Amino acid sequence: MSDLGQLLDTEPVVATAGTDMLATSIEQQGSAVERADWRPPAAGSEDALAILFADDRMRDANEVAIKRMLAVRPQLVDVSVARDVFPSMTERTFLHAGPPLTWERASGPMRGAIIGAMLYEGLADDPDDAAAKAADGLIDLSPCHHHGAVGPMAGVTSPSMPIAVVKDAAGDGVSYSTLNEGLGKVLRYGAFAPEAIDRLHWMDEVLGPVLAATLKSTGPIDLQSLIAQALQMGDDGHNRNRAVTSLFLREISGALIDGADAPLGQRRAVYDFIDGNDHFMLNLVMASGKLGSDAASGVAGSSLVTVMARNGTDFGVRLSGTGDRWFIAPAPPVDGLYLGSFTEDDASPDIGDSTITETVGLGGLAMAAAPAIVGFVGGTAAGAVTRTLAMYEITMAEHPAYQIPMLEFRGTPVGIDATRVVRAGVRPQINTGVAGKVPGTGMVGAGLVEAPMECFVDGVNALAETLQ
Amino acid sequence: MTVRAVETRSSPVSVRMPGVASAALRSELSDSHASATVVGSASHAVWLLLDGGGVVVVSTRDATRLPNSVEVAADAEANVFGSIEHGSPATVGIGQVMLDGLTIDAVRWWDPRPALPTLDRARIAESIVDLPSTVDGMPLDAIPATDSPAGLVAAASMLIGRGEGLTPEGDDYLAGVLSALRLFGEAVGDRRLMQTLDATSLEISSLARQRTTTFSAALIDHALKGNVALPAAAFLRAVAGRGDIRASHRDLLAVGHSSGPALAAGIVLGGRSVSSLTGGAR
Amino acid sequence: MISRVEVHPGRYHDSVRLMQASKALQGVEGVTDALVAMATELNLSLLADMDFDMDSVVGVGPNDLLLAVHAENEEAIAHAHAVLEEALTPKMVRSGGMNAPDAKTVGTAAEINGANVALLSVPGEHAYVEAMEALQDGLHVMIFSDNVPISQEVALKRYGAQHNLLVMGPDCGTTIVSGIGLGFANAVQPGPVSMVGASGTGIQEMCALLDDAGVGVRHALGTGSHDLSEDVGAISTLQALEALDADPGTELIVVISKPPAAPVADQVRRVAAECATPVVITFMGETTLEEGAGEVLDALGQARPTYGSWEAPQQEHRSGFVRGLFSGGTLRSEARHVAGPQLGEIGTREEDEGHTFIDYGDDEYTQGRAHPMIDQTVRVERLAAVAHDESVGVVLMDVVLGYGANANPAAELAPIVERVVDSGVAVVVSLCGTSGDPQGRDTQAKALNDAGASVHLSNAEAALYAARLATTRTSS
Repeated sequence: MSDLGQLLDTEPVVATAGTDMLATSIEQQGSAVERADWRPPAAGSEDALAILFADDRMRDANEVAIKRMLAVRPQLVDVSVARDVFPSMTERTFLHAGPPLTWERASGPMRGAIIGAMLYEGLADDPDDAAAKAADGLIDLSPCHHHGAVGPMAGVTSPSMPIAVVKDAAGDGVSYSTLNEGLGKVLRYGAFAPEAIDRLHWMDEVLGPVLAATLKSTGPIDLQSLIAQALQMGDDGHNRNRAVTSLFLREISGALIDGADAPLGQRRAVYDFIDGNDHFMLNLVMASGKLGSDAASGVAGSSLVTVMARNGTDFGVRLSGTGDRWFIAPAPPVDGLYLGSFTEDDASPDIGDSTITETVGLGGLAMAAAPAIVGFVGGTAAGAVTRTLAMYEITMAEHPAYQIPMLEFRGTPVGIDATRVVRAGVRPQINTGVAGKVPGTGMVGAGLVEAPMECFVDGVNALAETLQ
Repeated sequence: MTVRAVETRSSPVSVRMPGVASAALRSELSDSHASATVVGSASHAVWLLLDGGGVVVVSTRDATRLPNSVEVAADAEANVFGSIEHGSPATVGIGQVMLDGLTIDAVRWWDPRPALPTLDRARIAESIVDLPSTVDGMPLDAIPATDSPAGLVAAASMLIGRGEGLTPEGDDYLAGVLSALRLFGEAVGDRRLMQTLDATSLEISSLARQRTTTFSAALIDHALKGNVALPAAAFLRAVAGRGDIRASHRDLLAVGHSSGPALAAGIVLGGRSVSSLTGGAR
Repeated sequence: MISRVEVHPGRYHDSVRLMQASKALQGVEGVTDALVAMATELNLSLLADMDFDMDSVVGVGPNDLLLAVHAENEEAIAHAHAVLEEALTPKMVRSGGMNAPDAKTVGTAAEINGANVALLSVPGEHAYVEAMEALQDGLHVMIFSDNVPISQEVALKRYGAQHNLLVMGPDCGTTIVSGIGLGFANAVQPGPVSMVGASGTGIQEMCALLDDAGVGVRHALGTGSHDLSEDVGAISTLQALEALDADPGTELIVVISKPPAAPVADQVRRVAAECATPVVITFMGETTLEEGAGEVLDALGQARPTYGSWEAPQQEHRSGFVRGLFSGGTLRSEARHVAGPQLGEIGTREEDEGHTFIDYGDDEYTQGRAHPMIDQTVRVERLAAVAHDESVGVVLMDVVLGYGANANPAAELAPIVERVVDSGVAVVVSLCGTSGDPQGRDTQAKALNDAGASVHLSNAEAALYAARLATTRTSS
């Protein structure tokens, strides 16, 4: 029977979009009303939206996809070596951040990192030699994302590097990332000075094996739980990882002290390395995110954003319902704060897979949790809260585990919906580091960037084609 | 139009706000102006006693709508009643309530009498089968004697004024019973019950005036006519099959300190009475 | 006695919040015992002491949330878990100091205030997506916008009908639900009559007539001007009719429409005949709103009143055609229907010769402007021009009051009316409004009457009056 629910039994509660006069006239009648600050969708998305909203298919698909994204239980289970975990990796395969890329189109920091990794792998004698060989096609480049992996900044991952292995305790997903090198002149920011290469060698000789042995003693480490606690301690999971790194160190300290079959000096060095690197956990937070992202991929009809990633040249987006396609736009410049005498003229465009954190409800989307880094958003804690609140408009859910104390423990906005991005004209907010544009420079600053609208418009159109 | 409370204090001119009035106040608001006195004031409501004896409550949007409420378009947080003092004069009539520095235009009506579909008695019993009809400390024996005027008056007499506060619990309980008898009785077509209620209304009303607060007595008068607070109306409708019983029961229980639970129990008891009567519709 | 233990891995809540959640369980009927806690060793031993099945908590740890409930029955368990979920779900925060940004879509706005109706006036080409999302969210939708493709209108209405949701519009000017007017609507007294109307001004005129007769209105559901077309097939009208028939507060239903497609009109009549509630059908082109209101009053056992009118002091005017300047399309068609027998041919376009009744609410005259009920510029200008148009002897115009309409139309019109009357033209106003309207209906009537116009609350009577003036000229 059509009784229209309770419509005729009670006073209507009204939400409006459009001319303000209609909302005002409801208020004149002593009734409350909620207005949407509506604006037309991004140009070029209108027809696609009409297709996507024509029935329940997208809505149902999104429900499935977001559920999958939120169901993963990432656990750090092992530290291995790249050539052992990536089946298709040869001695000349280098993984990199962002969508597919060639040497010709690679940015300064990306080239710097490739050069550094070639020196590290012994594939070149000096930087010029490395650059010449890379230009000759000696190296096969492939995106981390195509291998279940993620890498911060340049994200360059070469065969000898130690690799963290993160498994889903609630399913059978696995994801990978390199170990974080620290800040300053480091490979991922495009540095290839001897100190950067020496550190990489120490990492595969000492850090990786000691951590692997330590994990055997601790057993799997529940990363989601650490991240959830860290958000309540001022981390955003992208630009601030101090709390989660501290928590991680607490988790492994006992096992590290006990021995892990390594000499005391090495164990002490590992402890000091992690203790001295507030971003140590960034890579593991990213791998956790990749697990959720992969779990949510491939749901036909879903507009859930599963990947946002940049390679310093292009910004790429993938949607759950459009399979392996990348939707690409030029990587935007970062609105940032700069270290020392660096300025925005020294900065490379946006780079790195670390946007995976935003994809799963952390980083820029969880800005309100991290008052310590509000310098990036105009300096006030209220500004950070506003940034996060704006993100609820474009997300599908509130994260059940990641909560923000300042918002009464509301879950972080999670599950970016490409259709909501184009409709609201609100772009995902990304916290990021900034690399120097000249190869070899390293880190020059940190700041904020917004994902380019074109990626979402293209994605929404492609998704609509799959539903026609 | 949004009127903010702060303007009240900075300007000597009376602030005007739209209000939504109970349709049960139509005669109070459409007659000529009547003088009244503020007998109580809080952030969410102002209680007015009309010189002629009636009661009008001016309340905020987040307060419970009573059958004699005029609701202003503001929440308690806006503190619109902040400057209105106990004992200050007020005027009610011609579509307005005028308080000290605040004039409320009754721009719209809401109906405190829920419209119920035609019902059969079994349906009522079934809807409320697992809901409590008692509250601690209320004498119950007399209540179901609703098919005789004397029984109803005796029951009312036991309840009126029992308990503490602005609306003693016994009064709320009685109001629940009376509204359920009136509305369910009408919905099942029980003419004898209607006659019983009509025959006892005056007596119950005057008992209430003697034995309880003016405010509470006014609510009993409304209940006799089937006019109830908004959450009670939703519960009554749900019992009649239009709405979610559990949710509306829960909402009603949450009203006031003891008022909601007493009203709810009274309605359930009234419902049981109606469903067990044989009625006069034969 | 039954029990259920739920483990939520990695879902962390501080102990204060967990305590609050436990507290929320105390009022839940049928629950005998419960534990809401992180799965620490201490809490697990508590769980064992409380005789819960420990098999379900094998392998859980201090980062996992336990929700364990003993209760009398399955329902109580389900209820308890729902209460816990509610208590542990953080509430939306919209605190002013935090500068929460405004919602950007109607779906988000509705989440904030828990709306059950979405009111859309976005440009027609964008209305579909907003409306469809609102429907998918379970909201009824009113679409004030016009220029929505008919295929989209049909798709929206079919979706709504399948989900027990009403799609009011597109091109729906007026709806009243439980006394709250949406769009252009008049203030009504509560009462026994409900309406379904595929015509905004049709609903408004019916409200005004009933109000003058002392009859209140419960609901008036607009369905959009195309609802009774063959393409749409009265989907919304039939839905609304059925719902109003089931509404215990509605004692009589009025169906109003612009001239409907014949087969659709027949279908509506068939459904109306099956309603348990009496239905009065008022289709333009067949009858008048005044006649419809009369039938309503007959059915309610009330006498048909003499509708309010304010006669012009000066009856003399020059001879000439009637110029109708309307803002309401349905008022225009009723006026044509009523005046036709006396005036003969009545044109509907400005370039037509003879008597012309123009609807200035039509797209043609509203390009880049608000509706003439709000913005009277075009009509004021056309009215002023009449003074110099010797072919015109009588002006007939509607003035629509209510929420959404111009705040004081008489103030703009009166000086022009005065000039036009002085030039020898009779001005007849059809004033569509109720006694509770914010503009003050009688004040508006008096201002227009003082300026020299005859004012009638019934549009049909105004039209008849104008036609009579034109055909029985008292002097030249």
